[in-house]
Amino acid sequence: MARVAVTGVGVVTGAVTGGREQIRAFLASSGAPALSVPSSALGGLIDETEARRLSRICQLSVAAARIALADAGLGPGAGLGLVIGAEFGDLRSTIAFVDGYLHRGPGGLSALLFPNTVMNTMAAATAIAVTARELSLTLNAPTVAGELAIARAAAAVRAGRADAVLAGGVDEFDSALAELLAEGGAPSERRGEGAGFVLLESLDSAEARGARVLGEIAGVAWRALRARPYGVGRGAASRAVAAALDEAGATSGEVGRVWVSASGDGPRDRWEQAILEEALRPARPPQTALASRAGRHAGLGALAVAAAALDEVSRGPAVVHAIARGGTHVALVVRSVHNG
Amino acid sequence: MRRIAVSGLGVVSPFGTGVKAYWNGLSAGACAIRPVTLIETEGFRCRIAAEVPDGFGGSLRRSRADRLALAAAREALEDAGLSRVERAEAALAVGAVGGGMLEAEAWYWERFRGRRPPSRPTPRSMLPFSHAEALGNALGLEGPRETLVMACSSGAASLALAADLIADGVVATALAGGVDALTRICFMGFNALKLLCPEPCRPFDRDRRGMSIGEGAAFVVLEELGRARARGARIYATLAGHGMTTDAYHVTSPHPDGEGMVRAMKAALERARLAPAAVGYANAHGTATPQNDRIEARAIHEVFAPGRLLVSSTKSMIGHTMAAAGALEAVATILALVHEVVPPTANLETPDPDVAFDCVPRVAREAAVEYAISNSFGFGGQNVTLLFGRA
Repeated sequence: MARVAVTGVGVVTGAVTGGREQIRAFLASSGAPALSVPSSALGGLIDETEARRLSRICQLSVAAARIALADAGLGPGAGLGLVIGAEFGDLRSTIAFVDGYLHRGPGGLSALLFPNTVMNTMAAATAIAVTARELSLTLNAPTVAGELAIARAAAAVRAGRADAVLAGGVDEFDSALAELLAEGGAPSERRGEGAGFVLLESLDSAEARGARVLGEIAGVAWRALRARPYGVGRGAASRAVAAALDEAGATSGEVGRVWVSASGDGPRDRWEQAILEEALRPARPPQTALASRAGRHAGLGALAVAAAALDEVSRGPAVVHAIARGGTHVALVVRSVHNG
Repeated sequence: MRRIAVSGLGVVSPFGTGVKAYWNGLSAGACAIRPVTLIETEGFRCRIAAEVPDGFGGSLRRSRADRLALAAAREALEDAGLSRVERAEAALAVGAVGGGMLEAEAWYWERFRGRRPPSRPTPRSMLPFSHAEALGNALGLEGPRETLVMACSSGAASLALAADLIADGVVATALAGGVDALTRICFMGFNALKLLCPEPCRPFDRDRRGMSIGEGAAFVVLEELGRARARGARIYATLAGHGMTTDAYHVTSPHPDGEGMVRAMKAALERARLAPAAVGYANAHGTATPQNDRIEARAIHEVFAPGRLLVSSTKSMIGHTMAAAGALEAVATILALVHEVVPPTANLETPDPDVAFDCVPRVAREAAVEYAISNSFGFGGQNVTLLFGRA
């Protein structure tokens, strides 16, 4: 089994856009929450043709992937895989496609918009942009999609099925989606938008090419806790946290910090606290919720992994933790080069 | 490397509910593509599809796709005879695209027309992940849970990823499959792309004019082979290998040389440590569009060379069932190994001279095949090949 190194990161979010240096500066600052990605964030990352042809969510994904590759010191390459998590996909294009029909009948349908109604459109656009020709996955889940994608990619690298994988997620949020969610009875929470990827490769190959290693994903696990669909469960006994710690050869008492998925959805946030208390007791390591500054979206998983890897303060490995309504549950154990 | 057994099968198809109905339809070479009843088709060039007939049950409070998935998944789990404890440990991988969009569309249409919508869709019912949550909750599955959205290769990818979880020792058992109900968006979209044929599709026919859409669900229970044998499970086949590649070429069109398809098939063979000559049957992606069939046939030719390889397309009988296709066609491939009968390509009247294979026109063929592949290729150039071996 290979050790999994994080050798690059790229994020495009309302709060921070860039690679490791920009994220380091963001973590050291204390700005106000910024939930929407300004159009200026994509400047220089998307060419004119892409700006014209790609939907906005695909542009977010392509831009973050390019930043991560550059941060890792890699060019587009044939040996690259891609694992993307998303909760909503390109809902904006889906609505536009349907509205074309409702307003103008069959003649109003756009053949160009239709592929965007399928949630792997971001993976397709990103794979083309960065020439990722190996494994390419799109994972759909509420809340945990980005963390799940990174866990899946780490498992593939660890097992030797992939040499280098861009892993993370992307989601877009706007007033139309907010209106639909409100009408559909979705819980209130701090939602944001953006994309984030980490570049994962085996530690051996990273060291062989002289990569600047941010940290190591030492253990991953994803399971389901009992809960009604899109509901919050009652049980707090987590197998994911224990399994990820076991894989990392770490104990709950060694955990230096937990990067949690809390986002202002009260019942889910309380469930997460109960799960962590049960999994880590008697330890109560400090916690950080990035959603408070960048809003919850699928790109946040990569930001959390990078933040854990860049942590120069905490002693011991970090746990990046996420639990979704419905029970999908992900834990990643991240060792920084600073806290080994 | 842990070997993977297939120890349970479940299907809801345009031939009806259950594996038996599915195999009866496939082996008879029947075509279930008929005029659409579920959605309005006025004004569209193509007005046919393969719909699942009533009888699959489930509460009407659930989406149609959830009910299709539940019926197929229940059959697979019961077929495998897993205990409650074994289910609780099992992984769940679901290939999905449309989610509960059929019901969400009905709501959106009424809302657009200024009428009071019948019921409001919620995120839990509209998005692809809704099926995994419904299955996990209803069937007591608490292992790793994943929803894969990989367009038309979603169902096949779910089997491949579940097999990885078993091979890595994360779980001993997994329920994997795919589901899609017919949706307006899918029907309208393929019409807009001018990829649908107004008549039932004719894969690999010289005069093919496009695809037909279908719907359905299929799930399989995958299990570590030694464990399946130890508990006396019926083993239908082994999942001996799989390959997953990406074209990175075009959002909707495959690479013109089929090089991503070739890499997927070669990767499956390599993982199974098999020579191409060991494979006797290829269940093709076979959509019946002029371009896709030509490129796939060329790719198969590059890997296997013509000879005794039989090639057929399940889509000629049940249409293209989107995210369910890879799983339904995997089950067809497994059943071909079990029954020693290769299902035919229905509606194939005039074989395309550019397709250098026996595509089993119209009538099933007795053939004791040791290994068979199932190809699935999706939008975004997502290629998956599953390789099954006779138990």
